[in-house]
Amino acid sequence: MKPYFEKMSEFGHALKKGRIKSTEENLNSIKKIEEDVADEVNRVKLAGFPEEKINARGHMTVWQRLEYLVDPGTWCPLQTLYNPMNNSEGTTNVIDGVGKISGKWAVIIGFDNKVMAGAWLPGQSENILRVTDLSKRLNIPLVWLVNCSGAKLTEQEKFYANRRGAGTPFFRHAELEQLGIPVLAGIYGTNPAGGGYQSISPTILFAHKDCNIAVGGVGIVSGMAPKGEFNLEAAEEIIEKAKQFRAKPPGSVNIHYDETGFFRYVFEDETGVLDGLKDYMKDMPAYPPKFFRVTEPKKPRFPIDDLYRLIPLNPKRVYDFDEVLARLVDSSEHMEFRPDYGPEVYAGLCKIDGFLVACLGNRQQYLGRNYPEYADYPGMGGKLYRQGLIKMNEFVTLCGRDRIPVIWLQDSSGLDVGDAAEKAELLGLAQGLVYSIQQTDVPMMMLLLRKGTASAHYLMGGPTANRHNAFTLGTAASEIYVMHGETAAVATYSRRLVKEKDAGRPLEPIIEKMNKLAREYHDKSRPLFCAKNGLVDEIVPLCDLRKYLVAFAGAAYQNPKSICPQHHMILPRIIKG
Amino acid sequence: MAYEIMAPLDGKVFQLNIKAGDKLEEDEEILAIEAMKMETPIFTPCDGTVREVRVKEGDEVAENDVLAIIDEEHIEV
Repeated sequence: MKPYFEKMSEFGHALKKGRIKSTEENLNSIKKIEEDVADEVNRVKLAGFPEEKINARGHMTVWQRLEYLVDPGTWCPLQTLYNPMNNSEGTTNVIDGVGKISGKWAVIIGFDNKVMAGAWLPGQSENILRVTDLSKRLNIPLVWLVNCSGAKLTEQEKFYANRRGAGTPFFRHAELEQLGIPVLAGIYGTNPAGGGYQSISPTILFAHKDCNIAVGGVGIVSGMAPKGEFNLEAAEEIIEKAKQFRAKPPGSVNIHYDETGFFRYVFEDETGVLDGLKDYMKDMPAYPPKFFRVTEPKKPRFPIDDLYRLIPLNPKRVYDFDEVLARLVDSSEHMEFRPDYGPEVYAGLCKIDGFLVACLGNRQQYLGRNYPEYADYPGMGGKLYRQGLIKMNEFVTLCGRDRIPVIWLQDSSGLDVGDAAEKAELLGLAQGLVYSIQQTDVPMMMLLLRKGTASAHYLMGGPTANRHNAFTLGTAASEIYVMHGETAAVATYSRRLVKEKDAGRPLEPIIEKMNKLAREYHDKSRPLFCAKNGLVDEIVPLCDLRKYLVAFAGAAYQNPKSICPQHHMILPRIIKG
Repeated sequence: MAYEIMAPLDGKVFQLNIKAGDKLEEDEEILAIEAMKMETPIFTPCDGTVREVRVKEGDEVAENDVLAIIDEEHIEV
């Protein structure tokens, strides 16, 4: 298929001096937010005991283990700031992301052994389920660095039970294994109770010589016989039992290597465990990249740092979406799908690291007096109209047929509204797009360039499409809310304003409430809020976005569940005509 | 050559960055028009000098109204 893919149409333009001059403030404002995000990431990295203290005990930290394990330059962290239950530790206590090990993509997750020896914390199981979902969606191995002291007992009611509680990941591990997706685990330290299941549920266990895994640990064994209350006699008994088990914790290597054989391998050194994982990763199921690549990988023709000048931080500013995309895809080339139809939506085939991907995004500009064709008002990009919805339905469906991974680049204020829009069937076409995505079983990811608003946030491959969306990235300019805060304030208080006015009462108290609500919307839609609450999986500096796209494309094509030969693809032929 | 900078859409002049006599570089933002809850920036198509500005902030403009005139800078080779 050389004629289609080797050289596609070039798009985008180099920035001129005048644009560079005009966008200095925008660049600085975005970088300032990125610095704030980096400070928060650093705070998570420093959580718990200092690295020196862990090292002095003869252990590596989870961060050091990750650095040793993952191929340099490939680590794409996810959920770093996720802390939905506002844990005082500032983390859910697992560190995860996508990276290459021995040249193969894997989803990688480890307990932060600096924080309560890797304990279960509130919000952690939801974090882990995102990770198992990711492994399932991309069909790539899940690699664990287990070092889990069990539940933080003083907060167990927040995470132990429930449908998506701390035990659910064990079922997900079993599900992955049933799907043929290996779960590899390097095991360190003391892993009792929940930590025991974290250790035993993976497929192959690589143990450090000093680790132990058990149904119950010292704490549980010591307190197995409740007596109704504690007194001095009971305390002495507990001390005696605890000493006994501390000397020899249950489930150490002599049991689970020599007796049960649960541990496939035991290693003297911490790095030996990681070397074992690296060695196994070499043999994990994977096609060589050349099997699916349509061309050799090439960088975009324009510097990625241009994004700081092309994406306005001000959400009301329009910009040229195509110029943004030209900074992200190979050679800044594409094959655009139906450019003469649905002008508010970009849809096209592009290449990332030599792999074919489908991109969809919101064009932002004024659309002219004659569009949308069903209304007597002009259209503005960022909104979705009838043609754009039809175009996305068609494009996504064809991507499913041709087995092309989809990248959504979202920046939408929502769908057109009003009777003209209803008559133009927007509601049905929108749910039609949900149906089209649902029946398109290919990996998708979403990059929230700026606004994620109203139902457009769901429709354009957002995380709510959670059978399809592998991960969602935010930027310093991202904001997510059902509607703008001022719109919400009007919707909430407009009738009240009328009532107060009619009654001759002062309006100021209501105005104050409106301003308060608008401020809350602002504060609860910022990048850090979105990351902490899991509305996005990571806030990524603009200059690192392509790295994540490369990881997504490489992972999606590493071991896909089904294949469409390039010469059988129909979408490139439809575009060519 | 002189370029007439025309409004691409109906709206209100929101941000005026230029005055007569200003030297501009190609693709520099000269003003923005607010319409349909969005701000559309307008850029100069060439290096040049502002000959005339026909609008002020807050003015309502219609599509194709001339907003400013820019004299292109000629570079002698």
